Amino acid sequence: MASTLPTHRTLSMIQRYWELLYVLVSRNIKVRYRGSLVGIYWSLLNPLIMTGLYTAIFGATFAEYFNNSIVDYVLAAFTGLVVIHFFNGSTSQALLSVVENGVLLNKIRLPMSIFPMSMVGANVFQFCVGMLPLLLIVTWLKSHSLISLLALFLPLISLVWVCMGIGFLLSGLYVFYRDLGYFYELVRFILGISSPVFYPAEIVPEAVAKFLILNPLIPIIESIRQISLSGNLPELSLIGKSLISSLIIWFLGWSCFRWWQEQYMDLL
Amino acid sequence: MQEVIRLEKVKLWRRTQEEFSYDLKKTVLSIAAGKYRQPAKKLVLNNVDLVVEKGEKVGIIGANGSGKSTILKVICGILKPSSGKVRVRGEIAPLIELGAGFDPNLSVIDNIILYGVMLGFSRWEMKQRVGLILEFAELEDYALVPVKGLSSGMVARLGFAIATDVQPDILILDEVFSVGDERFKQKCQYRMQQLWDEKTTVLLVSHDLDYVKEACEVLIWLEKGEVRMVGGTDEIIDLYLISSQTKKSTIK
Repeated sequence: MASTLPTHRTLSMIQRYWELLYVLVSRNIKVRYRGSLVGIYWSLLNPLIMTGLYTAIFGATFAEYFNNSIVDYVLAAFTGLVVIHFFNGSTSQALLSVVENGVLLNKIRLPMSIFPMSMVGANVFQFCVGMLPLLLIVTWLKSHSLISLLALFLPLISLVWVCMGIGFLLSGLYVFYRDLGYFYELVRFILGISSPVFYPAEIVPEAVAKFLILNPLIPIIESIRQISLSGNLPELSLIGKSLISSLIIWFLGWSCFRWWQEQYMDLL
Repeated sequence: MQEVIRLEKVKLWRRTQEEFSYDLKKTVLSIAAGKYRQPAKKLVLNNVDLVVEKGEKVGIIGANGSGKSTILKVICGILKPSSGKVRVRGEIAPLIELGAGFDPNLSVIDNIILYGVMLGFSRWEMKQRVGLILEFAELEDYALVPVKGLSSGMVARLGFAIATDVQPDILILDEVFSVGDERFKQKCQYRMQQLWDEKTTVLLVSHDLDYVKEACEVLIWLEKGEVRMVGGTDEIIDLYLISSQTKKSTIK
C-alpha cells in the first residue's frame, strides 16, 4: 500500500492554522539556534550591552530624573531596550517572511498570514526564555506583589499585537515594494529615538512631545516601567492606553494584509 | 459518474512580469512626476470550462505559457480566478516539484513533519508516518542529518516519499519526474501505479507526449489561455502535432 495508515485530513481551519504555526515557529527557532538552546541567551547580549553603553554615557547626566539613582536608570534603560529590541527583531523578520516563502506559496495552498505570524511567534518564544524571567525578577524585587507580576503581561500582550500589526503591514507591502527594507530601517530608527529609552521623557520639548502620541511603543514602555519599576500598584489607565492603541494597530495591519492578499500571488 | 472538478467560465487576470521591478522609490517618484499608471494586467485564462469526473486521468498539453500550470494552480486553490466558478470535491495532493518545501538547515525528520503539516496533516499523524517515509526513501541512517547534507538524489527521493505517502482523491502532477537511480525509479513507478488506481482522479501536465499518451485517457489542449480542444488522447495528440508542424513550417 502507498499508505498503511488511513489519512485524516479533516482538521478544522483553526486546528490547521495552529499546527502550521507550531511547525513554522519551531522551524524558525531551530534554524536560528541550530538546536542549542544556549544560543537563545545570545539574544540577551544585545540589550544588555546597550544598557551598559547608555548607562556609561548618559547615566550620570540623567540620574537626577531617576531618583538620583544609577540603578534606577539602568533598569529604566533596560526595560525600554527590551521593548525596542523585541519590536525591531520581530518586525524586520516579518517583513521578509511572505516573499521568502513565495516559492512555497506557489506550490501549496497555505494561509499567507501564517508567515509573519510565525516570525513574531518565534520572537515571543525567544522572549519568554530570555528576557521575561529577568523582567519578572525585577518586578518581584521592586513590588513584591503578585498582581504586578500578572499585570506585567498586559503591556507585553500589547507589544505582541503591535508587532503583529506592523508585521502584517510590512510583509504585505514588501511584496509590492522590494526596497521597503531601507525605508523601514529609517522608520525603526525614528521609533527608537522617539521612545524615551535612554533619556527621561521630561526633557522632550512640549511642542515635539505632542507628536510622540504617534509612537505606539511609548505607552507600552511606560506601562511596563510603571508596573515593574515603580513599586506601586499597576496603573490601569496606562495599561488601557497600551492595549487600545495596540489593538488599533493590529487591526489596521491585519485589514491591509487581507485587502492586498489577492494581489500577492501575481508578484511572488 | 461523479464529478469532482468543475470550472465554469474561469477568467484570470494577472499582473505582467515586468511589474516585478517596481519599488517604492520609483513609484513615489513617478507619482510625483505625474507619470504613474496602473500596473498592466494580462489575461492568462480566458473562459475556461472544464469538468473532470471521478477516476478520470486527464492530461493537459499546450505550448509554453499557454496556461497549463496556471490551471492546476487554480484547481489547487493557490490562485483565485478573477471571475467564474471553481468547484472541487475531495482532497487534492499536489505532487510538487520535489523538495520545494524543504528547509536545508532542518533535519530530515523535522522536514518530513514540516512538509506533511503544510500538506494538511497533523503533527501527530506525521510522527506516525515518519518511519514509513524514511524506509521508502531509504534514508533511515540520515534521519537526523540536515537536508543540506544530503545529495540531490536523496532530496528528490525524500520529496517523492512524503508526497506519495497519501491516498488522495485528486492527484496533481506538474511535469513528470524521474527520481534517483534506476532501481529507485522502478520503485517510484510501482508506487505511482498504486496511486493510479481506479478511484483516484489524476491531472497531469507534461511536454512528454509519449508519457501523456500512456498515462491519460482524456486530453485538454490549451492555447493562449483558452481551451482549444478536449477529447480522446490519440485524436488530440495527432491534431496537436499537426498544428505545431504547420507552425514550424511558417517559421521556415
